Parts: sequence; C-alpha cells; structure tokens
Amino acid sequence: MTLSHRRSLANRCNALKSTGPRSVVGKRASSQNSRKHGLNSAPDFESSSEYRALVDLIAEEGFSAFACADIASGLLNYRRVMDAYYATYTGPEPVNKFMRDMSVKASIPIFRELLSPSGSEPQDVREMAAFFASMQRQEQRKGGPVSRRSADAHKLIRYQRNGIARLSRAVRQD
Amino acid sequence: MLYNIHFSIDVDVAMPVEDKSKSLLPFLSSPKLLPDESEAEFQSGLKSLLSELDNPSPLAVALVSQLNESLWWIKRHTVDKELLLHEAMARLLSKAGSYTETYDNRKVSKALERYLDGRADKDEAEWIDEILTESKLTLPDLRIRAFKDAAKHIKMVDDLIHRQHQTMRHLQRSIDSIDYKSRLIKRMDLELAALESKQSVKGVLSLDAKPS
Repeated sequence: MTLSHRRSLANRCNALKSTGPRSVVGKRASSQNSRKHGLNSAPDFESSSEYRALVDLIAEEGFSAFACADIASGLLNYRRVMDAYYATYTGPEPVNKFMRDMSVKASIPIFRELLSPSGSEPQDVREMAAFFASMQRQEQRKGGPVSRRSADAHKLIRYQRNGIARLSRAVRQD
Repeated sequence: MLYNIHFSIDVDVAMPVEDKSKSLLPFLSSPKLLPDESEAEFQSGLKSLLSELDNPSPLAVALVSQLNESLWWIKRHTVDKELLLHEAMARLLSKAGSYTETYDNRKVSKALERYLDGRADKDEAEWIDEILTESKLTLPDLRIRAFKDAAKHIKMVDDLIHRQHQTMRHLQRSIDSIDYKSRLIKRMDLELAALESKQSVKGVLSLDAKPS
C-alpha cells in the first residue's frame, strides 16, 4: 500500500469525525454547500436595466403594458434556466477515482490501525469498511462523465418546462 | 476534454431585422457553444430559420434564436446517446480479463472510439480485438450488453431530447402568435386607411354637392 493511499484514507477517516463549521463565517459558507444552480431562488428582474430595455422594445410591437412586463421577465427567466442548463451540462460532478478504484478489502488493515490500534474494536473497523464500500458502489453507479452530465442535466428538466411555459403564456396572452 | 471551456457566440450577425438597435438579443445572454462545435454551422442554422420569418420583429427574432438553441441541444444530446454507449462498452471491456488496472476507461474508450470509427491503428485494433477475445465477446454482443447497462442514462437523454422538442413547440406557437398579431395589426391599419380615404372622398363629394 502506497504512502499517499494511506494518507488519503487517514484524511477521510479524520474527516468523518468532523462536527461541521463552528464560526459564523464557516456556517454561512457551508449553508451554500448544497446550492447547485440557483434556479430555486426568486429572481429580481424588474430592477435590472435589461428588463427595462426589453419592456420598452416589446412595447413598440403593440403589446399591452402587462404583457410587455410578462414577456420581458419570461425571456430573462428562460435565459437564466438555459444558462444554468449549459453550466450543469459542461461542469458535471468529477469522477472520484480514488473512491471508485480503491480496494476496500486491502484497506481494512489501515482502518484497523487508524481506528483501533489495540485491536479491541473490530466493530468500528467493519462499519468503516462497509461505509467505504457503499460510497464506492455509489461512485461506480454514477458512471463516467457523459452519464454524469446527462443525469445532472436531467434534473433541470422541470425548470425548463416551467420557464418556456411561462414565456409562451406571456407572448400569447394578448 | 469538452468541459469547462466555452465561448459565447455573436448571435447578432446578419439579422434580418431592419433596425439592429431594436434587437432584444443584446439584453439577453447568448447561447454558448462547446469548444469543438462549429460556430459557422450554428450561425447558418440561425440564419436559415430567420430567413423563414415573414415578419422579423425583434421579439420573433429573439424567439427564433431560442429555437435554434433548442435544435442545437437536440444535436448535442443525440451525440451523447452514442457516447453513453461507447462509455458503457469501454467500461465492460476494461472490466474484462486482466484489464482491471485500466478501469479508468479513458485509454480503452479512446481506442474503442477510433476502432469503431475505423480510424484505429494496427496496435490499437489488435489490442481491442485481444480484449474482446479475452472477454469472449463479439462487437455486437458488447454493444447489446452496453446498451443494457446504459439504458437508464440513455432514457434520461431521451427525456432531454423530448424536452427540447416540447420547448420548440412552445416557441413555434409563440412565433405564430406574434406573426398573426402583426398581420392583424397590418390589416386593421389598412382597413382604417381605407375607411379614412372613403370618408375624405365622401367629405369632398358632400362639399361639392352643397349648393352655393
């Protein structure tokens, strides 16, 4: 077993003991950890200069003031969704090669050394090995980069559906 | 690699809108292309769609630009379906026999891609043949097994393609509605002008008919 492999396993074991951020700044930062694409946050299009410019230009096409506002925000919202779609598609979750390729069986002596040097707590070692094995299965199930980007993009389908429906409704309301 | 590098394209080139200052596109983020995609092809698709517009109003042009992007996504996802199969085939080959060390299937994947395209050199072709023999598989068998393995992700890509078709339907209906609206406005303008001219002729005639 290489030293770096040993070090990586030790780091991961220690990380599992972590209790999370303690400072206000750390908590604030970690509160954004699960933020994926930002499409669930309410956008404020009305105060942007693009929105006002779009409303003015659409008004010249004979739409009512209400329709202009709806179309402008519908267009900006649709672009926001498509930009997030592109970003998700081009930046899939990277493959964790360490987790995918590691041999759990071969790592058990290291777990034993790290968790119970006296050899008195085999239960902990078994739990740790089972945990790593389940992580490995998860990683392998996600597949390669193309599978990952397809799965990630698939999660944005409902945002696209809502975005285009909103835009289409706005254009056809008059 | 295709990822993380992109450039935005200038969609405002050669728009058939009479006054470019009235275009909505500068206020909207433009569709982005992947580095290996042809900007010229994207632009020519957009131009041909725009040329089919009877009345290229700024809003119609903006919607057509979105439509072109949807078409582009369909192309991308169609390529992805084949890539998913290749990925699964490479994974199966990597797992076979003594090739477990290449489970990161990049090497196998590249060789297999060239092999399937008929671009593989002698060594690569021999290597792929050797792995196939070792895993007791023929190429069609491998493809079938890979399809089975990748079915879940291929279904996802099919959903993505279907979504783009639905988006295009929405956009097409919106464009039709704008077109109809502008035709209606034009027709009403013409009718109004005709009425006004009739009125003015009547006015002249009635003035002429008045006894002096």
